[in-house]
Amino acid sequence: MACAAVLIAVIAGAPFLLNEGILRLATECLLLLTMAQMWNLLAGYAGLVSLGHQVFIAFGAYALFLTSGWLEVTPIWVLPVAPLVAAAVAAIIAFPLFRLRDAYFSIAMWVFAEIIGAFTMKSQAVGGTSGVPLATSKLIDFDWFEPTMFWLAGGLTLITIAALYKMMTSSFGLGLMSVRDNDLAAMSVGVDVRHNRFIAFVLSAAGCGLAGALSFMGNLFIAPLAAFDVNWSVYMMFIVIIGGIGTLEGPILGVIIFFGLRELMTGPLGLSGGWYLVGLGIIAVVVMIVAPRGIWPVLRDRLGVRLLDVHRAAPRPAAATMLPGASERVTG
Amino acid sequence: MIWVETLINGALLGGLYGLLGIGLALVFGVMRVVNIAHGEFMVLSAFCAVLLSNLFPQVSPLLMLIPVIALSFAVGWLYQAAIVNRVVTSPDPLSPLLLTFGVSVILRNVMVEIFGADVRSLQVGELSRASLEIAGLNIGIMPLLTLVLAALLFMALQLVLRHTEFGRIVRATADRRDIVRLSGVKPDRVYNYVMGLSLALGAIGGVLLAVRSSFTPFSGAERLLIAFEVVVLGGLGSFWGALLGGIALGMAQLIGLKIDPNAGLLYAHLLFFIMLLIRPSGLVSSRV
Repeated sequence: MACAAVLIAVIAGAPFLLNEGILRLATECLLLLTMAQMWNLLAGYAGLVSLGHQVFIAFGAYALFLTSGWLEVTPIWVLPVAPLVAAAVAAIIAFPLFRLRDAYFSIAMWVFAEIIGAFTMKSQAVGGTSGVPLATSKLIDFDWFEPTMFWLAGGLTLITIAALYKMMTSSFGLGLMSVRDNDLAAMSVGVDVRHNRFIAFVLSAAGCGLAGALSFMGNLFIAPLAAFDVNWSVYMMFIVIIGGIGTLEGPILGVIIFFGLRELMTGPLGLSGGWYLVGLGIIAVVVMIVAPRGIWPVLRDRLGVRLLDVHRAAPRPAAATMLPGASERVTG
Repeated sequence: MIWVETLINGALLGGLYGLLGIGLALVFGVMRVVNIAHGEFMVLSAFCAVLLSNLFPQVSPLLMLIPVIALSFAVGWLYQAAIVNRVVTSPDPLSPLLLTFGVSVILRNVMVEIFGADVRSLQVGELSRASLEIAGLNIGIMPLLTLVLAALLFMALQLVLRHTEFGRIVRATADRRDIVRLSGVKPDRVYNYVMGLSLALGAIGGVLLAVRSSFTPFSGAERLLIAFEVVVLGGLGSFWGALLGGIALGMAQLIGLKIDPNAGLLYAHLLFFIMLLIRPSGLVSSRV
């Protein structure tokens, strides 16, 4: 609680202390962290790797841009449309996609994103290949735009992490993790595998839709090549893989490494964005080979730190107290 | 008549697509790994062919296939030995997927940085424009040769896997990785050869596709998606299925382009997605 209060205070106060460039970078970090948490919800907890999650980012962002334009209201008030549209798309597409497992699911998601991207580029109603500017940008108060974006991103990140923590310690989260670890055993104790996966998929899409809408709202412009870029999935995946898949702390560590490396390589070292992705990719591949669960679980076990741990140990003490009683009965 | 020509050209393009798919199918069949970097390796082989033909302009670019195939085999062998073998036995089926995806991102960006993001193509001169006229239909020599080559390669691969010692070892390893060890087979080493073979087949597809249409370092993703769609549409059961899947996709793409000239791969992707909806049972199969 105290920790949460401190975080809220930090996020509320940060725009008054940081300059615009750093604030913008912080907003980007927070949004990517939210997306990574959402990708992790699907990959780390539900065992479904999506290589087409950019489609939900794009749906959320386009939904925001178009509704805000039609209704002629400040984009912030139509933000709820973004997660709703992304969730609705996910709920529909889940029916064909959930017939597929593992790599099939991953690549079919990617093909789905490609199809939607191609249709978007063809459709003049949504701006075609050249994209659309935010029609209602004149309604935005630009004195407070960067701070507001930061607060929205910060609030979204905190709520996402708190909600995921709550969820993973609830029976739904336990069911989800049991499916990931052993779906046969989970089914035998009555966990509804399909239902759990479906909920995780829809929630993950909704979160990515909202974060994507905020991200493009910050740019005041959206174009299909940026919105449907497979690099969104690359970023989410690398952050989760490097930090620690299936943990809540992992993506936080991953985002720090992701942006730390980017600022280092493209700043002082003066390398291009391509070499940065090469560096990140090498780190991810090395982590996958050396520590397949990511860096955070290794650190946690070395240092013995517990932050947002939803890990549970088998109830061993109970079995130990059973035995003497049982043997007493035998001897008695 | 123009539609018949489109269908025939689609089928010829399908032979090429079958070639893209077969390497992916081979690796998946033997080690249950979808090599996401397959498309990037194909583009890499196309870059190698372009570099070689710039170095030796007097030699026909198609002859460059021979060194490129050899190089791709070596690269595949090393790639498997150094990277993929480390996760291939992982209890988590997602590990190889994520790892090869990481490798694809590395390769793509290394190619962007080294070769630049410009559009390239492999020029074969007269051959790419030459065509036959049969019963009023115009049929390109190059696509026809590609389809024949694809069919020959499919047949050769089938024969090797069915009737040779190497083929028996590969099939046995695919079935029971643990048991073949009892007969003195090292599964990891078999995997190395299979990945080498897969990338060599991919190199043929990659170079021939570079002759047909231009490419950039970013073309790997669409080549992978086509390869994957070919494999899934054809069913993983047979190589001939992959050829059929390729032909279906090639026809869908060319018909789509006829209706809508800037459709790209949209109609091929749509065909794949519709097939997923109506015939998902054809997606599951286990034999090499």
